[in-house]
Amino acid sequence: MSSELLNTFKTAAENYDEDVQQWKKTVGGKAIGFLLTDVPEELIHAAGFFPFGISGGDTRMDMADAHLQFWACSFVRSSLAMALEGKLDFLDGLIIPHTCDTTRMVLGIWKHAKPLSLMDNFRIPKQVERPSAQKYLVGEISRLKKLLEDFRGSEITDEELWQSIKLYNSNRELLRKLFFLHEKNPNLLGNRNLYTIIKSSMVISREKLNKLLQELLNSLEKEEETSSPGNHKSRIVISGTLLEPMEILDFFEESGGVIVADDLKNGFRYIESDVPEKSDPIEALAERQRSRIPSAAYDNNNNPRRDFLVNLAKEKKADGVILLHLKYCEPENYDYYDNYLALEAAGIPAMRIETEFGGVALGQLRTRVQAFMEMVGGGGSD
Amino acid sequence: MTEKKPFKTAELMKEMMKGYYRDGAHAKENGIPVVWVTAVSPVEIIYAAGLFPYYPENFGAVAAAKRVADKLSQVAESKGYAHDLCGYARCGIGDAYSEEHPVGEIVKPDITMVCNTQCGSLSKWFEVASRFYKVPHFVLDAPQIGNEPEELVTQYFIEQLYELISFLEEVTGKPYDYDRLNEVLKLSSEACRLWNEVLETAALEPAPFGFFDACFHMAPIVTMRGTQQAVDYYRALKEELDERIKQGIPAIPNERFKLYFDHIPHWPKLRWFSELFASRDALVAVSQYTHSWAYDFDLSRPIESLAEQYTEEFVNRFFDYRIELKKRLMEKYDVDGFVLFSNRSCKPNAFGLYDKRKIITEETGIPGVVFESDMSDLRFFSEEQIVDKLEPFFEQLEAGKES
Repeated sequence: MSSELLNTFKTAAENYDEDVQQWKKTVGGKAIGFLLTDVPEELIHAAGFFPFGISGGDTRMDMADAHLQFWACSFVRSSLAMALEGKLDFLDGLIIPHTCDTTRMVLGIWKHAKPLSLMDNFRIPKQVERPSAQKYLVGEISRLKKLLEDFRGSEITDEELWQSIKLYNSNRELLRKLFFLHEKNPNLLGNRNLYTIIKSSMVISREKLNKLLQELLNSLEKEEETSSPGNHKSRIVISGTLLEPMEILDFFEESGGVIVADDLKNGFRYIESDVPEKSDPIEALAERQRSRIPSAAYDNNNNPRRDFLVNLAKEKKADGVILLHLKYCEPENYDYYDNYLALEAAGIPAMRIETEFGGVALGQLRTRVQAFMEMVGGGGSD
Repeated sequence: MTEKKPFKTAELMKEMMKGYYRDGAHAKENGIPVVWVTAVSPVEIIYAAGLFPYYPENFGAVAAAKRVADKLSQVAESKGYAHDLCGYARCGIGDAYSEEHPVGEIVKPDITMVCNTQCGSLSKWFEVASRFYKVPHFVLDAPQIGNEPEELVTQYFIEQLYELISFLEEVTGKPYDYDRLNEVLKLSSEACRLWNEVLETAALEPAPFGFFDACFHMAPIVTMRGTQQAVDYYRALKEELDERIKQGIPAIPNERFKLYFDHIPHWPKLRWFSELFASRDALVAVSQYTHSWAYDFDLSRPIESLAEQYTEEFVNRFFDYRIELKKRLMEKYDVDGFVLFSNRSCKPNAFGLYDKRKIITEETGIPGVVFESDMSDLRFFSEEQIVDKLEPFFEQLEAGKES
């Protein structure tokens, strides 16, 4: 039962445009793409559009060469290349969160190279603790709301927005349940399936997603009764910008490593916090953005990511932390050494592994993972 | 090529900058906290608070010009900071961890204050620094704007300036002196006005002053705007230029072309570039970069005016605005061509240049070229590659003159 459902998620992640194309045909609506994942998708959904997460990867990287230097991060390069190659032609709009200099600058390039009707940056504040941040963020989300309203030709009502917020909160709650189930009993899903489900959640219609997730949980809970959790596995935390390539998850699995937590944009950080269902919906969306798991994208001095990581590793009783570095990702690179030192000081084994979209030598990656797993005393299987 | 007669004011500047660094080095013993600031940030707030503003970017530029950026960078790289990060940041972080200090030690901060109009790289570097030196850190956040100023952004920045002032009051234990701020703004406006006048002489034919001269003379407008010294300096420079105009002393011996250049200069090879262009009778006349420091404050509303001027600066603008600005400057200085520097150290200014070159040429007919290198690190410099890129461009310029 669950294997059939798992296959549905896997297919959705691979054929990422299938559901959105189907939806467009049936509903006749518009699709708004976003780069991962600091974007208030609830607003896009409330406007009646299909929020589509662009995960990069599926393209010839050289398509971007005429527009973006090779030393731009491969996530943005490959996402742009996908658009240039015509693989994102179903999109009617695009919202890029300003999380770094590359996401800040690529908007203008994209606008000229592959124009869409609605294109903008979501300008997240780079400090999140002072009172001015919340006020500004409310203004910025309101600006985005207005943009979407103009695009659909009518106002987004509070009722619509609350409905979308509730739907998203329940999506996230179900995804978290899966995550924790995986942590408790890693044999049920396996690393790869877990993260494939999260990835596919960005390209499946939200209503359908809830149904699929609920069914999957039901069947997994049944299977759990008869399966043994197998306590021999090493518990690993992954910290970084984006999870790529997905094969790395298999390599951990092979070496007896179970991913128990992360701070990735396309991992647990995506589903960790809900929009508080109180007060004003825009205020609530702003509150969520400010209180997300710390990321390199904004000030980490007063919002100390390294302490967060140490606490997370301790809380999850992790055997080690992988600092997964996306090549040419500046913010992540600036955080790396201090994060490493903090983990080292806490006695938590940590190692950096550099990857990129396209062109990762999988054999080498596997060897790196194996070396790390040996270091943390893994290698045991069930 | 004959050696150009050096500017008299150049000596004055050397003395001034020496004094500035001396003040910085002695600030701590004189009980004056050192505040690290970024180049396009409201330093007027810091001067008015009686604190010493220090520009670590400047340290990076000096290390680059002295061709030791790669050495400092390698120390940072040994800790895991990659060579594709901003070269200034690599120099600063490298110096922090280094036993050797080939350009003298960076002045350690008591406070770090970053304004992110320029980029996100400086923000991350300053975060690293504030953790390394264990000092309080303040972020002035400037969301990027398009063609028109935005009330949302201006108000956000105003609110943050008040937060900054409270933060400084708390750190220093002194109430903020708003009267002093007005005086500082007045001095800053005056220095900026003079700097602009200096830059504008590059539009004359032949011009007494060009971009490479501006790179040499810009240190005071970056570091000391808001002081009387900066005003005096640019007044003296302007007078000297007026004198040179009268005597007919040109910036390059035989100016036949004027060029626009983006963006940050190539510090370790500044002279090489300047001679290369001069040997082709091309004066690099103008750049948005040197025009960054052209503020004009409204003294009747100082905080609001600071917020407007700094958030509306071109480094904080979207793609299309930057194209328009380049076109405006190209028209004003009547240039024959433009050269864009795809600078590995500066992602926000490099990304988009390929498309900008194409769009500007399509819209204006002015030929342009993009070359690749790094503003500070010679490991990414290839003389041959750059000459290969520029040669067809020079031929285009010549062809343009003939037609």
